[in-house]
Amino acid sequence: MTRSAIAVRCSDDEVRAALEEWLGGLRLAAPPGLALDVSIDAGPFAQLPDPVFEQPGVGFARGPNDRGIRISWSDFPADADIAGGARSAAVRLSPAAVAELDYCTRTFLLSVVIVLLRHVGWYHLHAATAIDPESRGWLVAGDAHAGKSTTAALLAAAGWQVGTDDIAFLEYRDDRVLVHTCHAPIALRDGGRRLLARAGGVALPDRGKTGFWPEDLGGVWTPLVLPEIVIFTTVGKDRTTAAAISRSAAVAELVRWSAWVILEPDLAQVHLDTLTRLTSQARCYRVTLGRDLFARPNRLIELVT
Amino acid sequence: MSDRYMRHPDLRLADVEGDGVVLHLGTRRYFSVSESGLALLHALETPRTIEELVQVLLDRYEVSPEQAAASVRQFLETCRTAELLLEEGPR
Repeated sequence: MTRSAIAVRCSDDEVRAALEEWLGGLRLAAPPGLALDVSIDAGPFAQLPDPVFEQPGVGFARGPNDRGIRISWSDFPADADIAGGARSAAVRLSPAAVAELDYCTRTFLLSVVIVLLRHVGWYHLHAATAIDPESRGWLVAGDAHAGKSTTAALLAAAGWQVGTDDIAFLEYRDDRVLVHTCHAPIALRDGGRRLLARAGGVALPDRGKTGFWPEDLGGVWTPLVLPEIVIFTTVGKDRTTAAAISRSAAVAELVRWSAWVILEPDLAQVHLDTLTRLTSQARCYRVTLGRDLFARPNRLIELVT
Repeated sequence: MSDRYMRHPDLRLADVEGDGVVLHLGTRRYFSVSESGLALLHALETPRTIEELVQVLLDRYEVSPEQAAASVRQFLETCRTAELLLEEGPR
């Protein structure tokens, strides 16, 4: 098992071992010193008074004086507090949440890790990452129906290195923006799987998808990308098209797909600066994905170079 | 004395080669702004009168005082609508 950079402290050995295995499997090369302090607690678990941000099943509220974050899971009772600037999260899991620990990690605890990583300068972006055969780094950003996963799978099958289909972390270091990823299966809906003509994979029933590791598709997983090209995708019909966009339009798009920027006022400016720096480093395009890509995945390169 | 204006403390600004992006942490909305708009928002970090904002534009651009004043008034109205401003009465 790969040892995680994020420590787990929990008096329940079974839960601790399960969480360590999950975090180790993500293979996140995060800075040292991060920790989840997990307690099993029968409650009560209060509802968030005023969520500043919500995603399916998980709500986020600012702490006192707008510092720190409380995260609450609505599917099963669980919450987490991360103080302003803290490198550890105080996580409470109800027995019901522990009984669904695998689901808990993919939804609630992944959100806790995403907020914790912001405290060490890693800013989450909904984007797929890849490195093309000419060693150029790519980001493919967009919403849940923007074709990121299908594109990531297609590129992996075409021999590109692929990092993630959705969970990218931007870090500004040494005067450039690097993108870290975790090792997780590319999650395809049935439609994407049919278009790729792929059988097998791992069922992801709570997401209604099937997971494929980049390695299973013929690609190589890469934990780190230096983006030179950023594309904001939508799904079209037959022909793939690309149009260059201005830096300000690209920053606005990145804000949209990195919505965590609004969470903690103390971190918002440096998060926004990281998104802005990315647009000075990379060329940015709006791309409409067409079915022609399935026959010629490298058409993406032709369109932007 | 004139009214004074200040940008909302929940705003975060991004300078992007000639123009910019404004993020409002409170309303969770973001906006693109022109170079001159970004200059005014930077100036509005501290309370400013319309006259002071007009001077910001006159210092940066070759425009008449009348044009600058019209631009400032229009910009302030747009900002007011988008809840980007705090306003102080005359002192």
